Amino acid sequence: MCSAEAVPVVACRQLVRRFGERRALDGVDLDVAAGETLVLTGGNGAGKTTLLRVLATVLRPHGGAVSVAGHDLPRHARAARPSIGYVGHEPLVYPSLTALENLQLYGELHAVQPGRCHEALAMVGLERRGNDRPADLSRGMRQRLALARAWLHRPALLLLDEPTAGLDADGREVLRAMLDQHAGAAVVATHEPDWFAGGRELRLTLGRVAG
Amino acid sequence: MRAYRALLRKDLLLELRGRELVPAMLAFALGALLLVRFGLGGATQAGGTRAATGLLWVVVVFTSMLALVRSFAQEREHGIWDGILSAPIDRAAIWAARSTATLAFLIVTQAIALPLFWLFFLQDGNPPSLGVLVAALLLADLGVAMLGSLLAGLASQVHAREVLLPVLFLPFAVPLVTVAVRVSVGTISPQTGGSATLEGLGFLALYDTIFGLLGWALFEYVVED
Repeated sequence: MCSAEAVPVVACRQLVRRFGERRALDGVDLDVAAGETLVLTGGNGAGKTTLLRVLATVLRPHGGAVSVAGHDLPRHARAARPSIGYVGHEPLVYPSLTALENLQLYGELHAVQPGRCHEALAMVGLERRGNDRPADLSRGMRQRLALARAWLHRPALLLLDEPTAGLDADGREVLRAMLDQHAGAAVVATHEPDWFAGGRELRLTLGRVAG
Repeated sequence: MRAYRALLRKDLLLELRGRELVPAMLAFALGALLLVRFGLGGATQAGGTRAATGLLWVVVVFTSMLALVRSFAQEREHGIWDGILSAPIDRAAIWAARSTATLAFLIVTQAIALPLFWLFFLQDGNPPSLGVLVAALLLADLGVAMLGSLLAGLASQVHAREVLLPVLFLPFAVPLVTVAVRVSVGTISPQTGGSATLEGLGFLALYDTIFGLLGWALFEYVVED
């Protein structure tokens, strides 16, 4: 838990998100402090991905209060977005663009220096694959590219949805190094909580915080 | 502007690499013109240049539909919306870039199809004014691109999008096409004054302005889940 005086990077109070009549998130309360890693666990359909997508400002909350980096969502979502780096189930890259072109596109959208794209590629070990298209990369390499995309603008909050999926031992080292360098907060949805042993675990069940 | 430039460059690069839209639009436009020219032959000639000019606009509308139905296809099929929508940009820039790219695709297609249309259908009789026809085409293309990109963004968020988009688009396009046909056909008739032409072009410009403002203001909300 964050200290009383610190402003949490993520704060949710009675967060609700529905899909039709079904409540994917049903009154979730949580705080994530700067420097903290929150490890979300739970079975399929527990609401982990929905929670990450709400925090990534991709889905609107339907009830309760949410803030990211001190900005209330959805009202001030645009102000919160520079603080967010999001890795989803898909790498979120264009298959017809090369790895480097994809990073350059996201780099321009995030207003980062062009040199950061090469740095990010090098950080995930893809410096020699920058001219390859995602389709020519292995599943694990595409996941590394997704990590580079999310890390490009050095966000204060990393939102990682099953980031170890498809990663081999070297890829996991890349992820470990990225998390070690990351000074901000992270929310990680995973089925491998032991791999994120340093984080605080929070279990979701049917859209609610368990226990 | 930074986001707009980056997204427009991306849209043009994707088409350059994939060659997905413009060849299909060209094939449809040329196929439709050939079909009518050689399939109906004499019947078209009997209809005169008025019928032929009307036919051109039918081809324009359905060619546009091809571009619009595939609009945002990659974002949808590869889940890229989440990446683009979580970027710190004015989401209207996504709409503006896509509108500009669609406009460019329409112009390229028509730059090839229009001379063939002229060759096939307007060799005999009194053709419409080329200047007015091109002006009407450009204004109509702009309206189609802006309205279509707004509706394509909306349709991309729902199921049965391929059905929904034409259902949404065609009713809104009716006034645009009606006036564009009237303007271009009107120039054939010697008794039609220049003021009617200007009035028609003015309507098209007004239509563009309205849907430009609506697209800019509403796109943020239509892509919101």
